[in-house]
Amino acid sequence: MKLSEIYSKYEEVLSKGNIPYIRCEDCGYVFFYPRHLCPKCNSSKLEILVSTGRGKVYASTKVFRKNEVIGIYGIVELTEGFRVYCNFKSDVEIGDEVMMSSIKVGDKYKLLAEKVK
Amino acid sequence: MISGFASAIYKKYEGSAFELMADVVSSALDMAKMKKEEIDGLFITYLPGVFDGLAYPHFFTNQVSQYLGIRPKFAEVSDYGGASALAMLYRAYKAIRANEAENVLCIIGGKGSEIRLRGVTVDSMDKLHSGISLTPFDKFFRGLDEMNPISDYALVANRHKKVFKSTDEQRALIAVKQRFNAMNNERALYRDPLTVEEVLKSPIISEPLHLLEAVYPVDGFHAFIVSKRQSQLRDLDVLAYGEAHWPEIPAELNDIVYTPAIESSKRANFNLSKVDAFQLYDSFTITVMLQVEDIGLIEKGKGGLFFEENDTSYKGNLPINTGGGSLNVGQPAYMSGGVILEEALLQLNYMAKGHQVNDVNVVFLNGIGGWNRSHSVTLVLGEKK
Ligand SMILES: [Zn+2]
Repeated sequence: MKLSEIYSKYEEVLSKGNIPYIRCEDCGYVFFYPRHLCPKCNSSKLEILVSTGRGKVYASTKVFRKNEVIGIYGIVELTEGFRVYCNFKSDVEIGDEVMMSSIKVGDKYKLLAEKVK
Repeated sequence: MISGFASAIYKKYEGSAFELMADVVSSALDMAKMKKEEIDGLFITYLPGVFDGLAYPHFFTNQVSQYLGIRPKFAEVSDYGGASALAMLYRAYKAIRANEAENVLCIIGGKGSEIRLRGVTVDSMDKLHSGISLTPFDKFFRGLDEMNPISDYALVANRHKKVFKSTDEQRALIAVKQRFNAMNNERALYRDPLTVEEVLKSPIISEPLHLLEAVYPVDGFHAFIVSKRQSQLRDLDVLAYGEAHWPEIPAELNDIVYTPAIESSKRANFNLSKVDAFQLYDSFTITVMLQVEDIGLIEKGKGGLFFEENDTSYKGNLPINTGGGSLNVGQPAYMSGGVILEEALLQLNYMAKGHQVNDVNVVFLNGIGGWNRSHSVTLVLGEKK
């Protein structure tokens, strides 16, 4: 698969608000940040899948500018086993269960995580 | 092996970075009693924006040599950010030993103020200049509200708190202890006494990290001349060296609470009980806490306890960041490598006025670079073997 094909598939999934990821058919490694060869075993046998979006908070921080919170930034581990950077919609703690979605900001994507009640 | 060094640091330098750089190089040449034509090797480090707010991605070593008026036999950029200073010193040392050069100039610095005053950080240069990409994945990574590098280090600090039960007070104590070392250091910008309460009362930048746990980006340069030539300085040698690079986006690391210092220090493989002083990269308090663990001064997770139990002042049992570190000297051009290297040389040459450690023969340095803590360089300097 060419990187451009990965990008168009990613855009298709992300534009619907979902989270795509890649699974290596040879070694089983799962990852989000797109590469056309597996970063672990260099295999080209990769498949693009759509995540359930469910995950847990791995780390988070409230970012301030002039004493105002400008964002809650962090990392979520999805149930499929890969981790992504995201912004959180509300205050969270490590281990909290979250549901992920995506929105387009300019020409880039922002992944968002919302605490599951 | 080091025949001259110099520095100049300002909160805001009104002139050009090129001008300040050339003045600092002149001072280093004066100490080495060397003419600039004798420089035949050049190493420099560079981040976009630190030379007068502009990006110089086009043949940068050429531009530096053009301004300085030198014709080196080789000229290279060391691209490890905060760890560059230690790596270039080692590369220069190797070049001298291999007779590839006689006198190698190493330059670290620039102007932090240009970026600071525009309200961005050096790790968000893509918000200042168009056509800059920070990762191969920016479309899926750079849409976020963050403030790297501090927000990414904050993630590590929070996870360290959760996994190892370290506390905000323990991190604040690192800032307090470094401030004590800075109080009599004439090079330090911040010399007033500091308490844990004051650190914790300072504004939060990215929770849990407070303003007084973070370096202040300033304008300044350090220059070091590595040479075979005898000089007034002590004849030092590299006693141990190791580097390690973990390029991963931290979301893809096994565990973000480890840094590549764990590997670079293992590669250097030096007996820590023979060390008289440590200079550990101090972009943030958490950076120092992670390194005392990763270089093996204490087991993983107990970095906070380490600072409660040891006297890390320049008079203490385990002197660390003996001049106050870049938390107090300031961080020129968003890279502290020059600050810790200069402090090591001041200590080894008994030039550390007001904060000299007694009987210094071996100094252990560790540099960390990159918003994602990718680069670690361990360097041990001491009397020639
Ligand atoms: Zn694989």
